[in-house]
Amino acid sequence: MDRGLPLGCPTGVTETQTALTTVSMQFYIRSSGNISPQNTFGQVPFLAEAVVSGPGKFSCLEPDYRQYIDAKMIRRMSRIIKMGVAAAQECLKAAGLQMPDAIITGTAYGCLEDTGLFLTKMVEQQEELLTPTAFIQSTHNTVGAQIALMLQCHNYNNTFVHRGFSFESALLDAAMLLGERPASQILVGGLDEITGYSHELLSRLGLYKGAGSRGSAGLFSGQSSGTIGGEGACFFVVTGSRREGDWASVDAMTTFYKPDSMQTTCRYVDSFLDSQGLAPADIDLVITGRNGDFRGDEIYRHLLKDVLGNPCHIPYKHLCGEYPTSTAFAIWLAARILQSGSVPAAAGTGPAKTIRRVLVYNHYHNIHHSLFMLTAC
Amino acid sequence: MKRQIIEQLNMQDITPEDIGDDQPLFVEGLGLDSIDALELIVLLQQHYKIKLSNADDGPKVFRSVRTMAEYIMAHQAQNA
Repeated sequence: MDRGLPLGCPTGVTETQTALTTVSMQFYIRSSGNISPQNTFGQVPFLAEAVVSGPGKFSCLEPDYRQYIDAKMIRRMSRIIKMGVAAAQECLKAAGLQMPDAIITGTAYGCLEDTGLFLTKMVEQQEELLTPTAFIQSTHNTVGAQIALMLQCHNYNNTFVHRGFSFESALLDAAMLLGERPASQILVGGLDEITGYSHELLSRLGLYKGAGSRGSAGLFSGQSSGTIGGEGACFFVVTGSRREGDWASVDAMTTFYKPDSMQTTCRYVDSFLDSQGLAPADIDLVITGRNGDFRGDEIYRHLLKDVLGNPCHIPYKHLCGEYPTSTAFAIWLAARILQSGSVPAAAGTGPAKTIRRVLVYNHYHNIHHSLFMLTAC
Repeated sequence: MKRQIIEQLNMQDITPEDIGDDQPLFVEGLGLDSIDALELIVLLQQHYKIKLSNADDGPKVFRSVRTMAEYIMAHQAQNA
């Protein structure tokens, strides 16, 4: 059935049984609301100064939520719910949009603080006298639901919980909806929080660098394992119908799961570029998901050198830390760079020319790999 | 009890002095809702070992801080 997709969606690239499927489409980022460990929320200059973390975790800089959320609602909301709702509100405001045609969220951990609270009370109180609020708010779709409640929005509402593909799945869903109705304006976001409990547990599994590390400022120095835990809530208004002032265009995206070798990863990235009719030289900037763990960073090094021919590249996790939906921050960064045409010093060193095309490549634990191609509007 | 209510319901920017003894807790007054009612039932169980067995008693018991206090005292006198 012809659904009238902007550029034909999806386009399969079939090579072998485990071939990459690239979704070629074009949709536009109209606005964003981003609560992150950097000064990214509201009308602020684009990464004027890098905020650095100490060892341990990289927590978000949070606004005064009372400006965005009714006092009667705020008392029930945990931190991630407030972050998500405020980021969504800011995003809608920036787009001049009162009622989105869909609300789609992606989160791996969901409302972790409320989950921890509820489980702790279950243990402490021998599974009796449990308060309802933490239980009600602990589900993964709470943020999407709260946004809909605040807006009284009865349109499509979905939440994707797929570990390192959560935000990617949300964005793919938005792209497919836009394929059916290009004029729609969809609110889509990725969010995850790090709590005391989760940081402690994930530290025990060796995911993070120890207390002796230099935090985000020293993330890429030396050859050590582990990274820095991060968090964020980043929303976008996306549409298939371009308008003056849109930030950037997302031209294609793909994901691949547990590649069996470095060669497979390289082949998939090569195939992604092929599907867009692009050569490495056509890309002005690559944003990579390097996170300071030498085991995973080796993949980026290999790819940049052997497949992409040492292009101009910058990382992004020294700005937001590592978390399963960090690609939402990466897309925000790419879109802002394309909007301004250059890389802010806080993010890294960009090319001398105006940036028109950006490739974002991230992998989460070498399990969930994702690629996005964005161009300037 | 006012302090316990504020803590249980995470009522930010409200002090015990802001809650009148006879002020309605639900809808008008403090503006509590059905989820808060469940929280108050848990509060009674946790702090006063009172289990509200008859749901029909809810609106009467939770009308105000005074009615809650009277219910607790009556229950304690009954079990003394």
